[in-house]
Formats: sequence, C-alpha cells, structure tokens
Amino acid sequence: MVDVDAFKTEIAPPRKIHPKVEEMKTTGKLFLTNKLALVGFTITSFYFILAILDAIYPQYLGVANDSTYLSWVPGGTPTTIQPSQLLSPSLTPAGGWMFILGTTFYNMPIFPAMLAALKFDLGYSLAIVMIGGGIGVVIGVISGYMGGIVDEVMMRVTDIFFSVPFLVLAIAFLFVFGHVLSSVVYALIIIWWPIYARLTRGQALSTKAMNYVESARAAGSSKLRNIFVHVLPNVLSPVYVQFSLDLGTIVLIFSTLDFLGIVNGNPNVPELGSLIVAQGNGLSWLIAGYWWPAIIPGIFLLIFTISINLMGDGLRDVLDPKLRR
Amino acid sequence: MELRYFILRRILVIIPTIIGLTILVFLIMWAIPFDQLIAPYIHQKGLSRAQATLVVEQQLGFYKNDPVLTYLFYLRDLFSGNWGIMFGSASPYNGPVINAIEIFLPNTIQLAIGAVIVSMAISIPVGTYIGSRPNSLGDQFGRVFSLAGYAMPGFWLAYLLIYLFAKNTGILLPVVPWGGNGLNGYYSSGHLVPWIPIQVNGHPVSDLTSYPTHVLLIDSLLNGNIYWFTKAVEYLILPVLTLTYGILAGLLRFIRAGMVDSINQEYVKTARAKGVPEKTIIKRHVRKNALIPTVTVLGLLVAGLLGGAVAVEFVFGYYGIGYLTVLSAEDLQVWAVMGTTIVFGIVLVIANLVVDVVYAYLDPRIRY
Amino acid sequence: MFLTPNLGGKRLAEINKENIQVRVRVDNLRTRFFTSKGIVKAIDNLSLNLLEGETYGIVGESGSGKSVTATSIMDLIPDPPGRITRGSIFIDGFNILSGYDKHVRIIAKSETNVKFRRRKRLIRKHNYIISGIRGKKIAMVFQEPFLSLNPVLTIGEQIEEAILLHSRVSIANSIIRRETMARKDVEKFVEGILAQPDISTRKKMINRWVNEFGVPDIERSLNDLFENSTDDSFITEEAFALAEAEKTGINLDQIYTARGYFDLLDRLHETNLQLIEAEATGNEEAVQRFRDEEHELKSALFKEYFSYSIQRRFLKRVYEKPFKDVARRRAIELLDLVNIAGSERVLDSYPHELSGGMQQRSMIAMALSSNPRILIADEPTTSLDVTTQAQILELFKDISRESNMSILFITHDLAVVAEMCNRVGVMYGGNLVEEGTVSSMFKDAKHPYTTGLMNSIPRAERRFDKSQRLESIPGTVPNLITPPSGCRFHPRCKFKMDICSEKKPKLVEIEQGHKVACFLYSDEIEEEIPDDFYVVPKNEETEEKLFNEAEGVTQ
Ligand SMILES: Nc1ncnc2c1ncn2[C@@H]1O[C@H](COP(=O)(O)OP(=O)(O)OP(=O)(O)O)[C@@H](O)[C@H]1O
Ligand code: SF4
Ligand SMILES: [Mg+2]
Repeated sequence: MVDVDAFKTEIAPPRKIHPKVEEMKTTGKLFLTNKLALVGFTITSFYFILAILDAIYPQYLGVANDSTYLSWVPGGTPTTIQPSQLLSPSLTPAGGWMFILGTTFYNMPIFPAMLAALKFDLGYSLAIVMIGGGIGVVIGVISGYMGGIVDEVMMRVTDIFFSVPFLVLAIAFLFVFGHVLSSVVYALIIIWWPIYARLTRGQALSTKAMNYVESARAAGSSKLRNIFVHVLPNVLSPVYVQFSLDLGTIVLIFSTLDFLGIVNGNPNVPELGSLIVAQGNGLSWLIAGYWWPAIIPGIFLLIFTISINLMGDGLRDVLDPKLRR
Repeated sequence: MELRYFILRRILVIIPTIIGLTILVFLIMWAIPFDQLIAPYIHQKGLSRAQATLVVEQQLGFYKNDPVLTYLFYLRDLFSGNWGIMFGSASPYNGPVINAIEIFLPNTIQLAIGAVIVSMAISIPVGTYIGSRPNSLGDQFGRVFSLAGYAMPGFWLAYLLIYLFAKNTGILLPVVPWGGNGLNGYYSSGHLVPWIPIQVNGHPVSDLTSYPTHVLLIDSLLNGNIYWFTKAVEYLILPVLTLTYGILAGLLRFIRAGMVDSINQEYVKTARAKGVPEKTIIKRHVRKNALIPTVTVLGLLVAGLLGGAVAVEFVFGYYGIGYLTVLSAEDLQVWAVMGTTIVFGIVLVIANLVVDVVYAYLDPRIRY
Repeated sequence: MFLTPNLGGKRLAEINKENIQVRVRVDNLRTRFFTSKGIVKAIDNLSLNLLEGETYGIVGESGSGKSVTATSIMDLIPDPPGRITRGSIFIDGFNILSGYDKHVRIIAKSETNVKFRRRKRLIRKHNYIISGIRGKKIAMVFQEPFLSLNPVLTIGEQIEEAILLHSRVSIANSIIRRETMARKDVEKFVEGILAQPDISTRKKMINRWVNEFGVPDIERSLNDLFENSTDDSFITEEAFALAEAEKTGINLDQIYTARGYFDLLDRLHETNLQLIEAEATGNEEAVQRFRDEEHELKSALFKEYFSYSIQRRFLKRVYEKPFKDVARRRAIELLDLVNIAGSERVLDSYPHELSGGMQQRSMIAMALSSNPRILIADEPTTSLDVTTQAQILELFKDISRESNMSILFITHDLAVVAEMCNRVGVMYGGNLVEEGTVSSMFKDAKHPYTTGLMNSIPRAERRFDKSQRLESIPGTVPNLITPPSGCRFHPRCKFKMDICSEKKPKLVEIEQGHKVACFLYSDEIEEEIPDDFYVVPKNEETEEKLFNEAEGVTQ
C-alpha cells in the first residue's frame, strides 16, 4: 500500500468493539462459510416460521385451529369418527392446493395436516428442551462448581437416568402423568435434564480452574454470583449444540410415542407420528400400495431432523475450539 | 490376571446404579394411581376393588401408605421373581410378568446382537474406506447416509422397508414372509400381529416340541427342525436391518472421525518414514487406532438400539421385550411395564459393563 | 491461466561429475502451508548438500523451519495443508520430486482461498516410489518420540515392521545359509578368524559371520571358544557342532519362493526409479529398455504372486514365522545397540510404558533398523538426560564413522553442534542465512543472527543447561504468513541498512566453504520469485470450473 499523507487525516480511529461481539462476529462468519450448516439452518428456520405462522394465523395456511381442525375435510366437519367414512386416500388434487399431497384418514388432506402437526411437534419439543435443558444446566453448573458430595450424588442420579433407554422411561412415566399428549412433555422434561447436567458439569469443572474465576473468588465474590456471572456464561457453547441436536431428537421420540399409540392422542390434534400411523391404517394401506399417508409425513419429518442435525454439526464445528482453526 | 480385578471392580461400581434404578422404578410405581396397580388383578379373577387391594398388599407387599417398607418388599419381590401379573384381553401375554419377560427378552437380545454384528461388519470396512479418503465422493455419500440414519425415525424406516420388500407390492425381493398370502389378516392397529403367533402358554405356534431358550432360531436347531430355522431367519431379516441402520450411522460417523483424526497423527508420519506402503498404513496403523475408541460409543449406541427396538419390534410384530412393553402400555398393564423398564435398565448396564471391559482389553493404554 | 510450479533443475548425473559424494542435494526448495489464515511461507528457496559420511547440523530458533526442511526431504509434509511448491530433492541421485508437480495442481484465488487438484493414479505411483526409498535409503528420527510411536502397537511390532519391510531378502539369505551350512563354510570361517590376531577385530568378524549365517545365538559361545582355545581342528569341530544345533530343519522351498518374490519386488522398484530417471533425462533408448524390464518383472511377479503371495495369505503363520523370528532377533540387537537395558522386555511393551528416553532410543533403533545411508535426526536428544544424551551422540558418531552414514542433525543446542557436526547451517525465517564448517562458524561467525546465537552459547562448564539456549536476541521469530520484506532478519538486526528491508540478500560463498546471506558481506541480491501457482482470472470460465471442482483445503 502507498502511504499518502492526505488520506491519513481522514481515517477515523478504529471503533472499539467489545471482545464478545468480536467473538460472535467471527463465529457467525465461520458458520456462514459452512454451506451444509447454512442449508440446515435455513430449513430449520423455515419450519419454525411455518409453525409460528400456523399458531398465530392458521387460516393462512389452510389449517384451521384445534376445535374446527377438520373443517377442510370435504363435505363439512365430521363430528364423530365413523370407520365407514375412511376413504381410500387419493392423490388427486381435486379439492385445491391443500390436496396436493393426497389425503389420509377421514379423507383429510395430508399437506395442511402436516403443517398443523408442526405446531405441536416443534412447540412441545422446544418446551421440553428449554425447560429440561434449563434445569439440567443449573443443576450441572452448581454441582460442578460445588464439587464434593453434591457432585457425587448428582453424578449417581444421572447415571441412573442414563441406564434406561429414554423411550422406555418415557413409557413408564406416562403411567404417572396419564396417557395424554401433554403428559409426554412432563415425562420427557424429567428424563431430559440429566444430559444437560452432565454436559455443563464437565464444562463447569474446567472453567472453575481458570484464572478469572479463581481471582473472582479471591476477591470475595459470593458463590452464587460466581456461579451465574462467571461460570455459567462460559459453559454454554456445548449446550447450544446439544440444544439444537435435541430439538430433532425429541421430535423423533415424541412422534414415536404417538406412533406407538400409547398416548391417547386427541384425533383433533394431528401430530407427525400419528399422521404416519394414520389412525392404525398406515401399515395396511402401505402394504396395499397406498404409500403416501405413511411416507409423506415421514419425509417431512426427516427433512426437519436432517436439517437440524446439519445445523447442530455446523454449530459444533464453529463453537468447538478444538475444531476451530 | 489384572483384567479379572478390573472386571470385579467394575461390577462393584454398577451395584449402586442398579440399586438407584430400583429406587427410580419404585418411585414411579409409587406415583402411579393405585387403581392402575390393582387393575390387572381385578381383571384376572373378577375381584372387587377391596379384594384386589388385599391381594396386591399381601402378594406384593405394596402398602400405599408406607413407602420404605414397600420398597423393601419390592426389593424382595424383585429377587424372588414375584414381579406381579399381566392380565387383560388385549395383553400380549396372560400370567406372571416374570414369565413373560423370560420368554420375550431372549428374542430382543438376539435382535440386538444381530444388529450389532451386522452393523459392525458393514461399518468397519466402509468406515475405513471413507475415513481414509476424506472429502471424496464416497465420503460425502457416507456422511449423508449416516446423517440420515441419525435423523430417521426407526418406525418409519420399518414402514419403508416393508413397503419396498413386501411381496405383493412386488417392488423388490420376496424375502418377507407376510407378503402374498392372506396379508389382510396379518396386521392390526398399526402393527403386524406377533412375529409368529403365540399360544397362551407363551410358546409360538410351531411344530417344535420344546422351547428351551425361547429363541426360535436356536430352539429349531436344538430340535433339528430346519424348516422352522429358515422361517426364523426369514422373520429376522427386516427387523435386524431396520435396527442396524441406526447404529450403523453412529458407528460410521465415529469411525470416520477416528480415521481422519488418526491419519493426521505423528505416528503415521513415522510409519511413512519407515517406508510402510499406504495400504498397510491404513490397515495397521490408522484403523486400529480409530477402532479402539469406537468401542466406547458402542455403549451409547446400544442404549439407542434398545430404545429403537421398542418401536421396531412393534411395527414388525417381533416377539421381543419392546413389543411386550408397548402392548402392555397400551393395555395399561402397569406391572409388566415396570418389569420391562427394570429389565431394560439392567440389560443396558450390563451392556455398558461389557463394553468397558472390552475396551480395557483392547486398549493397551488403559491401566486397570 | 495457472502456471505449474517449476520443479526442474540440473540432473544429479551432471552434478555427480563435479562432486561424487553428494548424498542429499536440495535445490531451491520451497514449502508452503495453505491455512485458513493465509499461506505460511515455511521454507523459501533453500538449498543444501549433505555429503557422504558427514554430519550436517541445522540450528535456528523455534519456528525457523528446521523440522519443515527435514520433513520436506522425506516428502512427509502433511498434505493438506502443506505442499512443496518448488525445487528438487535428490536422494542418492534420484529426484524424489520429479513428477511431483504433475499429480497435484495448486490453484489459488487468493491467499486464503486455495484448492488442490489431485490425480489419484499419479499419487499412488508417487507413493509407491517414495515408500521404497524411505526407511531403506533415508531414515528419520522425529522430534517428539511419544507422539511418533504408535500407541497401540508394541515397540517390538514397530521395529520388526521396519525390518521386515526392507530386509526380507537378506533375512531369507541368512536362513538359507544357516540351513545349508556345510563343514567347508565353518572351516573357512575358522581359518579367517585365526589369521586375525586382534581380539576386537575378531569379535567384529564373528559378529558379522553369525549374522550372515543366521546363527546369532551362538555368537557368545564362539567368542568363548576362540578365547579359550587355539587348536584349529578342535575349534572347527566345536563351531560346526554349535552351528549344526542351530538348524531348524525348516522347509527351504518356502524360503526360496519368498526370496524370489521379494527380490523381484525390490528389482521392480529399482527399475522404476531408473525408468523415471531416464524419462527425466529424455534418454529414449534407456526409457525403452527400462520399460521392457519393468514389463518383464511385472509378469514374473504376477506368476510369483500366485505361488507365493496367495499361499502366504492362507498360511500366514507358517510363512511369516521364520522371518519374524529373525526380525525379532535383530530388533533385540538394535535395542542393545542404543543402550536399552532389558531389551526383550521393552520389545513387548507399549510406548506409554516406557520413559521418554527409552521411547527416543526406540525411535532411533527403528530408524537404524534397515541400515540407511542417510539419517535425519530432528532433535534426537532433547528428551534425554545428560549421560544418555552423551551416549546417544557417541552412538551417532560411531555409526557415521563406521558405516559412512550421512546425518542431518537438527538441534537447538550449539554445544551439541560443536561436538557432533562437520558443517552447520543456520536457519532463520525459512531461509538458510549462513553455512560453513563448524570451526569457521564458531570462530568466525559472519551473519548478525549467527553472532547473536553464538553470544548466547552458555559457557563451557554449563554447556548442557537447556534453559540457557539461544535467547538473547531481541525480538521474536517472524510470522511466516507475512514475513518481513527483504532480509527476513532486518526488524531485529543491529546493522540494518536501507537496502535490507527492500532486497533479499543472496547466500554467497565469501570464504572457502563459508556462505553468508547478508548485505554486510556481499551486495548480491536474490531475485524474489513470486509464488507461481496463483490466481484464477475471473473471466476464464474453464479455469473457474476447474477451481470449483478441485478439492478445497481451506474451509
Ligand atoms: N502443519 C502445519 N501447518 C501450518 N503451519 C505449519 C505446519 N507445520 C509447520 N508450520 C509452520 O512452519 C514454520 C516452521 O516450523 P518448524 O516446525 O519447521 O519449526 P522448527 O524450526 O522445527 O521449530 P522447533 O525448534 O520448535 O521444532 C512455523 O512457522 C510453523 O508455524
Ligand atoms: S542483510 Fe541487513 S538486516 Fe539482514 S542481517 Fe545483514 S545487515 Fe542485518
Ligand atoms: Mg522442530
């Protein structure tokens, strides 16, 4: 570069950027260069936007709200479930764009039903991860920071939770909360916190040993303040990754539970799992060659879980200091 | 010699976990409304509510107002095999829970072992291949493949396979037994009827004379009955394939990462400096280092596998403990579900123990 | 349009006439690491010669590119991110970089956006060629022994692997000699020994003989025998009995086929080297001859493959056992050679079970296992205590004296250099800034950087104190992504002149055998050749497409 004196006076002093902001900027930049993660992020956001839109203005998506959800069924609103009304699903979009992906039980169009299902799946999954994850993070940070007997007990308790497959434990807990969709949420919250507790505990242990926490402690900052001001913010980056991956996992478990028919799902509340099983007809239709009621909602679900996994992996690459170069 | 002590120590360490497990399951039971606990007994003999309560209190020692005593009784019952009963018209088995588990569990173990073996047999060569060529076309494909494995719900994959392989859709191989004849009788409410229809005594409908292991594959061989052996193999193919995909995805991903990591290590440089050909470097120096830590994830994957088995057994009507769990849960057979929960826990703990021991055996760096 | 890196140079055949003893000749070597932060210019136009039997020391601060020089010579630069982008490296007259530019193209849009385009087939060929050279002709001891040993293989497995890779034919020969040994051979040997009065020479002769005939176990008994007796018919009788007892009665056919097979493999490799050499010189007739020869060897190998390799696959134990036994024997000897106590036990232990010094010595044993004629030692004594260090240095000296091995010795420690080396090169910022014989360097260092180094030598009585090394030059090693312009040393130089920051001084010989790159001594300027793999113009579609197809490294 050529140094020209005239220019020198023009140059404003570089604005001071907070190191945190700087850090976030580079993180964002790195994330943006990872194309697959970007695609995952875009699709995931799209799903969430659909779900939010559906929650606020269901009519724009052709999806009515809960009470009248069956309003798109041709010929009016069936109030009772009559097996005789089960028509062979068809792919003809005779009834308009809603029928583009065919119909399922009650001759219900699949496409808007899937959109309606999204609201429940994503909403529940978000609630479970946020609440379960939040509880887990707090417990993990505290036990990691305190150490000693608290930590030991916490580790043993999480061990126990890890020793049963989630799905089975959820089935067992459903007996306590009752076999309805909303109690799955309670059950999964109880099951989910240990993952986060483990994750943050390990991080908290290593953060605790760092200089600035030590010095804060020496300066007489209180334990609680120490935990939440100094330790907590520094243990969160793996939590974000886990968080994003779990959003997908929980949707899977959720739909599996619904699929298994263990929760007495309200037939007025479509959910991706129950759409796949199609009121118990999915398999027989499938074998008879009517594949779309079972396969299409599955693909819809798969796209979501794949993209959220892509996003999570991308996040991990960006946030993990070992992989970051 | 030393390994023996290591195993002993590990066994001692899992004891608190198992005790904790019993406490957890007990607490769940404690929280369950009492009516549900006595329901199977009412159903079985047509008892009144008070009579059924008495039966539960005396036979199982379940005193609703005394948790500590009840827990002690519960432990006693666990050891003596007094796990309650399951009884209901839609129940997959009528009788003591422990007997049901004895019949159903071996089949799940068979399924799990089959899936682990198949997935290892595939993932090791494939993982080696793609791991030694990072960013190649094969690698990209493998990554997408394993990602899909993570993201795919097991029951949906089962549906897909049924659709692709069932005989009368005529798409691919006629390997599944329920194609073709009388298909319509073979499914009910979203899942196929039991693997091979079971009788009331818990034995499958077949012309074998005895069922020493409850695993058709082995029983038929013990009976010298080749026909049922081939049948058993046929029935195994799709469930094993479905379950395989989930672990295969995890293994593939881990092996690939291990290969990529290990290929950049200094000791590979040393091997190259010795003049070892590339092929041998991959086989001897890189792969071994990549595979040993893979054993540790097997523990995690088995947990996923057992969870996955629940849905997959359900879809295929495969006669295992997951199937038992789901049908019992649908039928509100609380004793059965509590029993299977604890069995799942114990199986998983033992699987992890085995994984740890195998890891210690394989990795020379572990000092036990 | 992109240019290919220029890797040409004089053929060594021409150079050989001038100086017959060059073992390793590095010409204008340039090594780059393409990282996401930019291109690390790790080595810039470095040239050096390693002569037969000499020990050449390389010194310089941490990060000056010593290890990269060594790994470049072995062609072991981790790729990606690194590449040799220019220059030639002759090892025993063969340019290991001939054709190197063909199998990988480096295409760069900018410093941080670089892609490699590879050709699999050519890479495979290159790997085949180079893996026959590494270990056999040139071996290397790495800087960090713990990381450099494979954690899941025992020391024995790793050393034996190296032995079995390159010494199959000689092992087979020794087995055959052992099994077919006749009285005549023993008589001749005893006569030869008795004719030699000197005890230590005798011992050496005995050692050579037992190894040649594959009977190392009786070495000690033979020594005793020759010490205690002078009656030659008695000795012959006894020695023959001893040797006879060593015969295992193994099926020799199998050994013969093995020898045939591995001999063919070796010859094929040799022919390939010659073929490449001939292709590079453009000697049509020779190319044709070597092609024919290669073809012949290949078809012979094809036949042997069925008779030997497939059988071996099924009867691995039986076929490998005799070779493994000998390899193990040799491994024990090697460990003894590098002063490891309890060598048998060490052979069966894993790297993590050994101390740092033992790991380092195992590495050295591994490098020496196939009697290479060139050894590159990258700080081989850093993890050793003073006495062991002295022993190892002594060992290096012995070996280089006896078998005329050339050693490229990299170290921080100038005291070690003074003791070990014949010539020294000083590196700074990826360049060789001074080179000369040890005496001239220590007495009369020229380059300001070297004088700085010399001033920081600890006094004689504290020569092994490591905390005292090379630390008194102000400033730090330059960042090699954006190295200083002109003389790389100018930001730290006391004698900096105007020209120093603009032009790069050339390494010129200012006295007999003493070269310096500094404007204080010579005005010669080195043309800075820009990296020539750069920049895909945006408008040329095909190149753009090529770039897009190429494998990315910097993401
Ligand atoms: N794999 C790599 N990727 C990027 N840069 C590298 C790599 N390896 C080496 N370098 C760079 O090459 C330069 C020279 O490194 P080198 O290891 O040769 O130093 P050295 O002289 O051996 O130092 P030391 O005495 O510490 O061993 C350094 O600037 C280093 O950052
Ligand atoms: S060239 Fe100039 S800057 Fe470089 S060492 Fe010599 S005097 Fe110093
Ligand atoms: Mg170095």
